[in-house]
Amino acid sequence: MSRTGTGLTMQKVMIVEDDGAIRDELALLLENEGYCPLVVTDFTDIEGQVRKEAPDLILLDICLPGQDGFALCAGLRRGVGVSVIFVTSRDSGQDEVRALSLGGDDYITKPYSVPVLLARIRAVLRRSSGQEKPEEKETAGLRLNLARGTVSAEGGTVVLSRNELQILSCLMDQAGRIVSRADLIEELWDKRIYIDDNTLSVNMTRLRGKLAEIGRPDCIQTRRGMGYQL
Amino acid sequence: MTLGEFLSDRLGRIFMVAACAGGAALFLLATGTQPGIIVILLLVFLPVLCMVQMCDFFRCRAHLKELAHVMEGLDRKYLFFECVSGSRSLYERRLFDLCRQAGQSMTAAVSEAQAAKREYREYVEGWVHEIKAPITAAGLICRNTDSEIRRRLSGELSQIEAHVERALFYARAESPEKDFLIRQAELEEIVSRAVEQHRTLLIQSGVRVETSGLEETVFTDGKWAAFILGQLLQNAARYRREEPVITLSAMRNGREVQLTVRDNGMGIPSYELPRVFERGFTGSNGRARGGSTGMGLYLCRKLADCLGIGLQIASAEGRETAVTLIFPAKGNLTES
Repeated sequence: MSRTGTGLTMQKVMIVEDDGAIRDELALLLENEGYCPLVVTDFTDIEGQVRKEAPDLILLDICLPGQDGFALCAGLRRGVGVSVIFVTSRDSGQDEVRALSLGGDDYITKPYSVPVLLARIRAVLRRSSGQEKPEEKETAGLRLNLARGTVSAEGGTVVLSRNELQILSCLMDQAGRIVSRADLIEELWDKRIYIDDNTLSVNMTRLRGKLAEIGRPDCIQTRRGMGYQL
Repeated sequence: MTLGEFLSDRLGRIFMVAACAGGAALFLLATGTQPGIIVILLLVFLPVLCMVQMCDFFRCRAHLKELAHVMEGLDRKYLFFECVSGSRSLYERRLFDLCRQAGQSMTAAVSEAQAAKREYREYVEGWVHEIKAPITAAGLICRNTDSEIRRRLSGELSQIEAHVERALFYARAESPEKDFLIRQAELEEIVSRAVEQHRTLLIQSGVRVETSGLEETVFTDGKWAAFILGQLLQNAARYRREEPVITLSAMRNGREVQLTVRDNGMGIPSYELPRVFERGFTGSNGRARGGSTGMGLYLCRKLADCLGIGLQIASAEGRETAVTLIFPAKGNLTES
């Protein structure tokens, strides 16, 4: 077991995966995303390692040397209350049913896309820790209410459409940084808004119009050739 | 078997018997028997000959009917000679023995071929399982490169992934074992799974995906249905025109649910439409664009048949293509 990353409040995600390349890259990715990855390299006593390290979440491969992931999950469920996401390249329906009936919180098949994996991890951790989605975001003098779909500033409050809401939410999450159009489209696709470049432009114009109504006409800047910046 | 067939089959034998009778009559006439007696003899002989032939005919016909009945009741017809029991005629017994030997060698060949097919399928499934690990690793690694290279690489990776997935489902569809699982599934989940799987291709093709009315529940295998849908999305993205839009809309029709995938792409010429589900069929669009294998829609049809999903296609050349999946009601699936 090796531990990378430090920090007391970071949530610990244990990676149980026998493919070295995936294991290392996954650890790096999770670390960049602000989690504390715990990498299992010795597959003999995983339960013991879980008890010792007490991770918040385990990414569990089903095909492991020695014990298979199903047996492991059943053991873990009896012992400690830890969330488990199965990650596997087997994708028969039976496996998925079995995984979920054994108490897995989610089931992802390889090859997964990184944003999807991260979204699933976030969702499971949020559920298990009982945290609710933040209903309000506040940056750069804007207050975004995700539940009601409104944005307010000193000039008042306007109602946003679903697309506009998610665009603004993305930009607010990365306030100050330049977000490229391509990245913005990818993030919107993560939220099941499947738009193209033109639609993004249209939505952006509308969003700016609405922000102008509440006295913030140019808070989203266009950085030519690079993207948008809040 | 009709009487005519029977008689023409025996024509030689009947002719021989008649010739013999004629010969005997001539011999009797030459040796001084009275013609009247010969006529009486012939008049007795001919009906007996006819009756013997008729008896033979009815016996043969009954026997053939019996055999046909045995054949009808057989699931695997090539086991026929194992099932027909001892015959009275020596000739038939010997013939059946020979056929039985031929049948046994065929049974062996069939089960060998089945085993080979199963092994090959297992190998393909195992291989697909293996290849997914390095694809996953490559996807994670290219996360660390700059965004332009990442986009290009992930485009290529997603193509590899699509090919691998097709190989897996081809192996599954060609193999008689049923390993899908019909469950209650949310249409919205199936759609977002399919869109998610092909997001790289769709985003890079500049496609906008619109959905409507997907809040339906269907009874199907979600993975298989998502694969079918994925093939349709790939086609729509490949054969696109300017400003591509794909609309996914669902509608409840009685107890069935219809999901329509409509694009505003190149469309398919009407004379090619009836053939698009054939294996290896690449239409004029596919040939013009290149890289078409003619497998996507063929697989869709195969898998849809397994799942009991109806598949319809309509198109206006140069304007749009619409493929409709008809998910059956729950009750209609239980018997299959």
